Amino acid sequence: MRSALIVLLCLFSFIGSSISFGGSNVLDDDIVLVPVKDDPTISFRIWFKVGSQDDPPGKEGLAAITASMLTDASTQKNSYEEVLDKLFPLAASYSASTSVEMTIIYGRTHKDNVKVYYPLFTDAILLPAFKQEDLERIKSEALNYLENTLRYHSDEELGKAVLYNNIFSGTPYGHITTGLIESVKSITLDDVRNFYTKHFTRDNAIIGLGGGFDTALRENVKKDLQNLPVGRPETVGTPQPRAIDGMHVTIVEKEAASTAMSIGFPINILRGHKDWYALAIANSWLGEHRNSSSHLYQVIREERGLNYGDYSYIENFPRGGEVRMPRQNVSRRRQIFEIWIRPVPHEAKHFALRAALREFKRLLENGMTQTQFDLTRNFLTKYVLHYAPTTMQRLGYALDDRFYGIQGSHLAKFRKMIHELTLDDVNSAIKKYWQYGNMQVAIITKDAKSLKEVLENDTPSPITYQTTKPESILNEDKEISAFPLNVKAENVRIVPVQDLFVK
Amino acid sequence: MSRFAAYVSLIVFNTLGTTAMSGTIFPYKYQKETLPNGLTVIMIPMESPGLVAYYSIVRTGSRDEVELGKSGFAHFFEHMMFRGTKKYPGAVYDSIITSIGADANAYTTDDYTAYHLNFAREDLEKVIDLESDRFQNLYYEKPAFQTEAGAVYGEYRKNITSPYSLLNEKIQDLAYDVHTYKHTTIGFEADIKAMPEAYDYSKTFFQRFYRPENTIIVISGDIETKATLGLITKYYAEWKGGYVAPKIVPEPLQEKERFGEVPYPGKTLPVIDIAYKGDAFDPNNKDYVAALLLGELAFGESSDLYKKLYIQEQKVQVLGVSIPMNRDMPLFEIYSMVKREDDVHYVRDEVYGTLEEFKTKPVNEKRLNDLKRRTKYSFLMGLDTPDHVAGGLARFVAVAGGIEIVDRLYQQLDAVTAQDIIRAAKKYFVPEQRTVVVLKGVQS
Repeated sequence: MRSALIVLLCLFSFIGSSISFGGSNVLDDDIVLVPVKDDPTISFRIWFKVGSQDDPPGKEGLAAITASMLTDASTQKNSYEEVLDKLFPLAASYSASTSVEMTIIYGRTHKDNVKVYYPLFTDAILLPAFKQEDLERIKSEALNYLENTLRYHSDEELGKAVLYNNIFSGTPYGHITTGLIESVKSITLDDVRNFYTKHFTRDNAIIGLGGGFDTALRENVKKDLQNLPVGRPETVGTPQPRAIDGMHVTIVEKEAASTAMSIGFPINILRGHKDWYALAIANSWLGEHRNSSSHLYQVIREERGLNYGDYSYIENFPRGGEVRMPRQNVSRRRQIFEIWIRPVPHEAKHFALRAALREFKRLLENGMTQTQFDLTRNFLTKYVLHYAPTTMQRLGYALDDRFYGIQGSHLAKFRKMIHELTLDDVNSAIKKYWQYGNMQVAIITKDAKSLKEVLENDTPSPITYQTTKPESILNEDKEISAFPLNVKAENVRIVPVQDLFVK
Repeated sequence: MSRFAAYVSLIVFNTLGTTAMSGTIFPYKYQKETLPNGLTVIMIPMESPGLVAYYSIVRTGSRDEVELGKSGFAHFFEHMMFRGTKKYPGAVYDSIITSIGADANAYTTDDYTAYHLNFAREDLEKVIDLESDRFQNLYYEKPAFQTEAGAVYGEYRKNITSPYSLLNEKIQDLAYDVHTYKHTTIGFEADIKAMPEAYDYSKTFFQRFYRPENTIIVISGDIETKATLGLITKYYAEWKGGYVAPKIVPEPLQEKERFGEVPYPGKTLPVIDIAYKGDAFDPNNKDYVAALLLGELAFGESSDLYKKLYIQEQKVQVLGVSIPMNRDMPLFEIYSMVKREDDVHYVRDEVYGTLEEFKTKPVNEKRLNDLKRRTKYSFLMGLDTPDHVAGGLARFVAVAGGIEIVDRLYQQLDAVTAQDIIRAAKKYFVPEQRTVVVLKGVQS
């Protein structure tokens, strides 16, 4: 065990080492450093406290488009083509990432190339050209994503988007970051300029620097970002999602090859709080992302072979189909509990929905056992190590620590809390933050009408297999297939896919 | 943490070029040993506080699926490798992996299958014990086999919503007549549906391919080579050889251009894929090495055509290129998602025009040198974690049997001249060797 402890101390020693320099410079308190002496690269993450929650009504998508107009477009010194030409020999790039509350302009370069890279990176932030042709190109990409990619190319992402939109409907979180089709179409250069001037200000920025940077570079970044616009925009109030009364199902109808489902409800707990770590243990057991330790995975995929995987979340986990570890800098003040059922054959959709909800309900009623608790605790102790192996990721976590007001490092705290928490703590957190019966369900499928009927009538959904199954599974199947979902007719809505994300 | 069997298709529509072309002087000292049974292990100690990456690379992929009706089997078999042994049944394997908090997964490609784990240094012996056991003593019964087939079909269903999946299926089927690159790594849907019936066949698959002479282990991170080799020998020495290489029929010379269309059952912008028969990976083949650079120079992000079509005219949503590293003859591809259906032919002609230009006009020396510099730095910057090192080398190891080839590739890349690029353009990008497929959405 000794060596394990050394490992962890080393790994986490550079996490969250934010430094305050004091003095009158407004950025002095707004820098987060993750120095790694031997790292031959330098990572930049400039966080602007703005996201899709700040999109003006009718201009949904503006935050993301403005960010792209910094990183995927011309600057006042270089056309976009020239930017690409200059970055090309460096094997370096910079990009923007916008979530509901955070926008990050980030990039990484080898130390050998920082003198060429740095001015290009800061020009993007400080001297955007805001050209009409760049705006047209960026808008066209956003529209293609909304009209084609999200609606037709990935039913899993579609299910999640519908779930989040439904839960946060009527709040600033109530639309996806890319926006809405009509809104994106209406965005003008003036909108972008005004949004930039209002939100991409020096008072709204936190500098993140990681890797092998030196003092001179650190001071330069601080000094140069003083040239951002001035001002501190009003903060959007914490979203208050509507209470969900009963089981609400949205069926998105399309010619789907199989059925994708996402289930969820808002929870009122954030990382940093003791209870969050307790809930994280329960959630890891129930549905660790893309991991066979997930109980839902075991029940639906491993024992029954109904799909490719089944997971659960207590924090937003965008692009779950592509990445295996949590992304950084998608922090938010309101989270949801979410179950993700990967596409199942149409004939098994009702059964799979029941299976997932039944398992969740059983956990809620029975809590975790000591054995499950011990195994999950051991698992997480080391698994957390894989969350941030690179400097860029550690820097992302350090910024998230700042977002959540965590002293020190969330990942270090996570490991510490895992050992301090008891089974009682975990089971209490389950009762306190999770509930059964008041949820939103998003289902992407064809033949929506017949699904609506069987849901409303709680029709039994027996299942058959091509394979021989043990008696224990078949007996359990009988219970699953009759498990009551209690969905009222007025709470089932059918939406044609082409009606989504319009305005 | 297992069986999230990402399959990687023959065509990779993203950043394949980065790894493929990033040959440089490999910065870490490593040790390569081969046991008497033929198992090769490559150990790469590197600065990485307490962390180790462990890759078992089986040099078998969808390329080796020679029997009719068995497409997709290498990938399916990768799933089965998580079903355990008599000593460590699947559930026990899972619980041990869970208890050590390892990040474990596997993937299958056209040319190889890789099983990989990231874990803490002190768990090295436990991992070697588990991995050596399942590679030698895999055991599963028919019901488990059939259940796993359901998960594989689920994976197919989730992937097939992407227009690129459909396009890949079509272009490989059309471009190849006899070689096994005719099918994608996940396989034809009909074959996937029939998988539950192939239990007996699956046993022979293991016997033929999962042998020490066909497997290379790459271990990177916080390791001591002597002790690691001792553990490898202790656990793998008894593994019996007996690899039977499949008889893969070489693809005959394509003599005439081929065209295809594929309807996408939903809404999408049209995508055109222009594929040429290339050469297998060989750093000593100057034409192949030059083609790696040519692809990026002609169609990469700073190419004239990219700037024209994507930035200035805004005719395309995507323009990309893939010059892959394969054991046999791959497709060299240029693909584009076009904004208006009316412009598909225009984009196609622009691609053809660019290739013709590369056949006659020497490339700008500065751009060529910039690209060489870029390959060096992208390679170096990618080697930042044990997983990135071992994972980044996996294809080299699978295709060439070792990582010595990395240095050789870099030397050759460095030596490429403008004349080499012209020669490669003339050799590979000829109409008779071309297959063109256009995908269009059926809904507007």
